[in-house]
Amino acid sequence: MEALLEEHRRYDNVHLGHAVNDCQRTIDLLVSARDTIAAEPQKASIALAKLNNPVKQSFDKIHDDLKAINSIQNKYTKALDKKFKDKTLPDIGNDVLSSQSRLINRAIAMHLLREGQFSVASTFLQEAEPQPDAADGLMQDVRMRGMWERDIANVKLHSEGLQQQFAEMYHILHELKQQRNLDPAIRWARSNSKNLDQRGSNLEFELCRLQFVALYLGYGLHNSPSMGAVRAWEYAKQEFPSFQQRYTKETNQLMGSLVYSANLTASPYRQYFYNDSAWEDVANSFTREFCSLLGLSADSPLYIAATAGAIALPTLVKLRAIMKDKRTEWTTEDELPVDTPLPPGYQFHSIFVCPVSKEQSTETNPPMMMPCGHVICKESLERISKNSRFKCPYCPSESHYQDAKQVYL
Amino acid sequence: MAMNELTTTKLNADSHLLLDQPLLKVPNELGRKNFKTTQRFVEHEQKTILNTLKATATASLAGSNPLESLDGMITRMNTLKRKLEVLQEEEKTINAQSRKRIQHLQDLYEIPSLADVKYDEWSRVRLNRLLVDYLLRNGYLESARQLAREKEIEELVDVDAFVQCHKIEGNLRQGDLTQCLNWCADNSKSLKKINSNLEIELRLQQYIELVRTAETQKKVEAIIHARKYLTMHSDSEFYYKAAGLLNFPANTEADRYKELYSSDRYTYLASLFLRTHHTLFSLPSTPPLQIALSAGLSALKTPSCHSSHLSSSSNPNSTSTSSLCPICSIELNDLARGVPYAHHTKSFVENDPVVLPNGRIYGRERLWGFNEKLGWVEGKVRDPTNPTEWYGVEEVKKVFIS
Repeated sequence: MEALLEEHRRYDNVHLGHAVNDCQRTIDLLVSARDTIAAEPQKASIALAKLNNPVKQSFDKIHDDLKAINSIQNKYTKALDKKFKDKTLPDIGNDVLSSQSRLINRAIAMHLLREGQFSVASTFLQEAEPQPDAADGLMQDVRMRGMWERDIANVKLHSEGLQQQFAEMYHILHELKQQRNLDPAIRWARSNSKNLDQRGSNLEFELCRLQFVALYLGYGLHNSPSMGAVRAWEYAKQEFPSFQQRYTKETNQLMGSLVYSANLTASPYRQYFYNDSAWEDVANSFTREFCSLLGLSADSPLYIAATAGAIALPTLVKLRAIMKDKRTEWTTEDELPVDTPLPPGYQFHSIFVCPVSKEQSTETNPPMMMPCGHVICKESLERISKNSRFKCPYCPSESHYQDAKQVYL
Repeated sequence: MAMNELTTTKLNADSHLLLDQPLLKVPNELGRKNFKTTQRFVEHEQKTILNTLKATATASLAGSNPLESLDGMITRMNTLKRKLEVLQEEEKTINAQSRKRIQHLQDLYEIPSLADVKYDEWSRVRLNRLLVDYLLRNGYLESARQLAREKEIEELVDVDAFVQCHKIEGNLRQGDLTQCLNWCADNSKSLKKINSNLEIELRLQQYIELVRTAETQKKVEAIIHARKYLTMHSDSEFYYKAAGLLNFPANTEADRYKELYSSDRYTYLASLFLRTHHTLFSLPSTPPLQIALSAGLSALKTPSCHSSHLSSSSNPNSTSTSSLCPICSIELNDLARGVPYAHHTKSFVENDPVVLPNGRIYGRERLWGFNEKLGWVEGKVRDPTNPTEWYGVEEVKKVFIS
């Protein structure tokens, strides 16, 4: 890329500005000849004859200016071609998404909403609706058209609710991060406490704990920071009883810290109070919980998928080239034929690869656990058990097919 | 694991830029086009001015006053200068755009690994670029403009090029060839280089329209038109077919000619134009967003994602410690249904896996952590996936996954 940048820097000194200047010079020549002739008409023929060469030369000069640009353009184009030499435009074949523009549009609309781009999202939903006088191609299949309209309508309907939800999320996050105001977040956590409890989330407690810390440290108390401990104590008296049972240890610690109010930095509770990432952490777990309750992942799936795609693409393109070369097709349509390794953060589900068949478990070929605790896929189990007593391939224990049970990862 | 992590987070910028070729190629093509327009103007004026100058000199020898002619030349040159200034502005914009884009790609080379936060930022910009491109390709121009503006990536996307392209395409679909012919003239050299048949197909359409009228006068025009434009086609069959059309009325049932008269030809011309346009600018015919998505959906997809059984990992109602899988999330779930899932040669499970009597497998740490958050019930463990399933601690068994 450096080389390309170097090549492109040449444009800094070579540009049409020179041609414009030389054009002005030609004009000057013509104007001064005109002035001479106007003053002394009898010299017209000589003046005109004298004008011929300079004008010609000045045009040559303009051409030289252009030639210089052209030469740089050629060099830069060459450098560009060299940079992308082996890179044909990606073609990964197997283009199932082309017929799914409806679903892609839906994914985009939801992405825009979750990123808080509400005005773009609303423009998009308007534009994505087919115009009545749209291309003939669209008119051909009226049935399809109807489906598309209905679906967009659904997205729209859905998106209004979603937009409100995300607007609320951004409001709460803004208050939390920018204003250090925990009240809206706590209110939200309270009104969803049942669902949050089901998920084993302790968001509400985390928020309240942070509130306690904030009060203790005297946020918003510019005049009398020493009042912090008192306010924190009052807050704790009011709020902590409901947490007492589940968070006994934590609440006791927080209450204990009040003893050290004079010198908190030297106290054993220091870590709870001087933790720079505490607000960021709470904001993140709030976002995660909020999205999860909507059935959505915390980060934009579109973002994760596009990024994973860019990472996996070189492998898939190479594969495509090899297959084209050897004129082969994929043997299994359900599974990619090569490993496409992704960075650690991109693994979401557990994967089970049968140690016997080396195949990934699927719904029809699920992992089965033998009584000894070893797991192999169902088809492998069928193959080695042959309906009689068999030995586990990994330990000496023996069992029957029906002793094995399906497990879920 | 450490080794594995190193290889999976390695960032090879060169191969990573597969999708980003058009980013530099489009402004370069635009720059070249701008230059050719400049060249054409200058050549044209040079010829005119030098000829006029010669003629004026000759005329002045014969005694005629050259002032008027000189004024004309001065006006012409001033017009040329103004045109050059406009082109210079365009050149400036294009060069600045290219520079910004090179810089943006250069940024990727300076990011040490895929795990770096800078990569995350870069990739978000990329997604926005891909989104704008996708919106533009589908004609959602206002959405595209708005998104580019809000994300401040206007210099990294080619709104104008797509707006023009979309306009020409729309005109073709409505039977208007003028703009597309102008575009062909503007890009004639590049079109020749890629052996494009776009212009001759447009000329054929003009011919067809003349013949369609069935008026003698128009038919004569058609013949002249055909001689001028259609004979340059390398395939003589093309020319014969066009000539044959003169003998068939617009309502003919002869397949060969019926298809020439058909209005479908405009749809064909529109898609031919799109193809030609994209080839010229090195734009992939499939939207890059779609290419990235289809690769990404596969790379992320696991057999669990469309299974009728809820996965123990990354499902919507368990595990407040991990995020929901993006393929399982509503946005992409249906979209990912048709793509193949990723290939894996090794099992990947949480550390120290244990199994509950209902067959669900969890990492011991997560299961314990979850129940701790729930507030331990003495001697009991709850299945994180199912709020109604409680088991005795002694029922949790070790499971061996290799």
